[in-house]
Amino acid sequence: MKHIRLQINGVWRTGWANPGQTLLDFLREELNCTEVKKGCGKGDCGACTVIMNGISIDSCLTLALQAEGAEIITAKGLGTKDNPHPLQEAFIEKGAFQCGFCTPGMILSAKALLDKNPKPNREEIRRGLSGNICRCTGYRKIEEAVASASERSSNQSDDRELKDQ
Amino acid sequence: MLLREDGKARLIAGGTDLILEIRDHANSFEALVDVSRIPGLDRIHSDGERIHLGPLVTMTQVEESLLLKQHAIALWEACSWVGGPQIRNRATLAGNIVSAQPAADGAIALVALNAGLKILGFQGERDLMLSDSYIGVGRSAIDASREMITCIEFEGQHQGEASAFRRMAQRKAMALPQLNCAVWIASSVGYCTNARIAVGPVATMPFRARQAEAYLVGKPLTDETITACAAAIQEEVQPRDSMLRGSGLYRKEMAEALARETIKLAISRLEGSLA
Ligand code: FES
Ligand code: FES
Repeated sequence: MKHIRLQINGVWRTGWANPGQTLLDFLREELNCTEVKKGCGKGDCGACTVIMNGISIDSCLTLALQAEGAEIITAKGLGTKDNPHPLQEAFIEKGAFQCGFCTPGMILSAKALLDKNPKPNREEIRRGLSGNICRCTGYRKIEEAVASASERSSNQSDDRELKDQ
Repeated sequence: MLLREDGKARLIAGGTDLILEIRDHANSFEALVDVSRIPGLDRIHSDGERIHLGPLVTMTQVEESLLLKQHAIALWEACSWVGGPQIRNRATLAGNIVSAQPAADGAIALVALNAGLKILGFQGERDLMLSDSYIGVGRSAIDASREMITCIEFEGQHQGEASAFRRMAQRKAMALPQLNCAVWIASSVGYCTNARIAVGPVATMPFRARQAEAYLVGKPLTDETITACAAAIQEEVQPRDSMLRGSGLYRKEMAEALARETIKLAISRLEGSLA
């Protein structure tokens, strides 16, 4: 066992990690971050997606010890109920989930995509989400939600630019 | 550190294959040595002649590299097929090599590009051709408990050369390839002067279609040549029946079509670069 320190959604947290323990199990069991979901546990479904040091990863394929000192963003770090992230708003508006199990991972993959490419076309959205599986929705609503969030945030920044002028 | 553990420790970088092996108890080690955060090992650069990739270069980095898109488009295409974004963000090309799967998209492309490896071990550095690094399915001549790849390198693309990669799978993303094929071709005035064709997974290791290559060299790059060459590839490959990938017979038939498409794609780029 080793005591490690890492930043979760901007807050430094510490916990005991086993050498072979995945980051996923560490986050859920040791730090109680149950917003990170465990689906397949082998890199196929993307439910366990987190953003580590700016890039999206499957936390089930990363060891907790490899995340020592890292900055991790989970779905909880994006927004709150009163102040949701544009992606979260768009998912609600478009009805982009049913059971919701895939949603935290989907939203984080979408965020990683939009951070790199703020105006993806439909093909790029599908590619950006290709590491996430949803058993319920059939993906169309999810795709729409991401497209609408990207328009929304680019409109917002256009507004800001206008105000600046 | 590896020296101290004397073969009982193993290197880990992206971990996208290894963590599964550990979980399934297919593999166990007393210690893992994490190299994934050592700075400077993730460089992609060209010295004008050869392109060098550090051992921590990820599939995503390849996908985003303009240099590789221009000089090694087969590799660029291959890496964009590995897993989904989350896996490509972690998985390294060096890991793709050490895992030694005959289907590995990245490695198939590198075999066609005739890549060489620099390997650092207890005894010092040695050079190994990538195609010589395979000793069986999932078995690499590189012993990750005693040595590590320090560099993957291959020649940049010259005038009159081109490459291409294609794969066949049940889905467009997140699927293992049923077949994949990478082609590198050199030409002069419409004739093939040199060629390398790699096909996977049709043998215990990435397969070089040597007979088809030999056939191609010296021939005019016409549709007849391509058809005959693809037929030669079909003759040469011996895919096994596979629950995941399809029957051997089916894949043998499909190998011809896939090879034909890949060779055509490479040739079309040739003309593009000559124009
Ligand atoms: S739980 Fe990690 S990808 Fe499915
Ligand atoms: S909403 Fe149920 S898995 Fe996606």
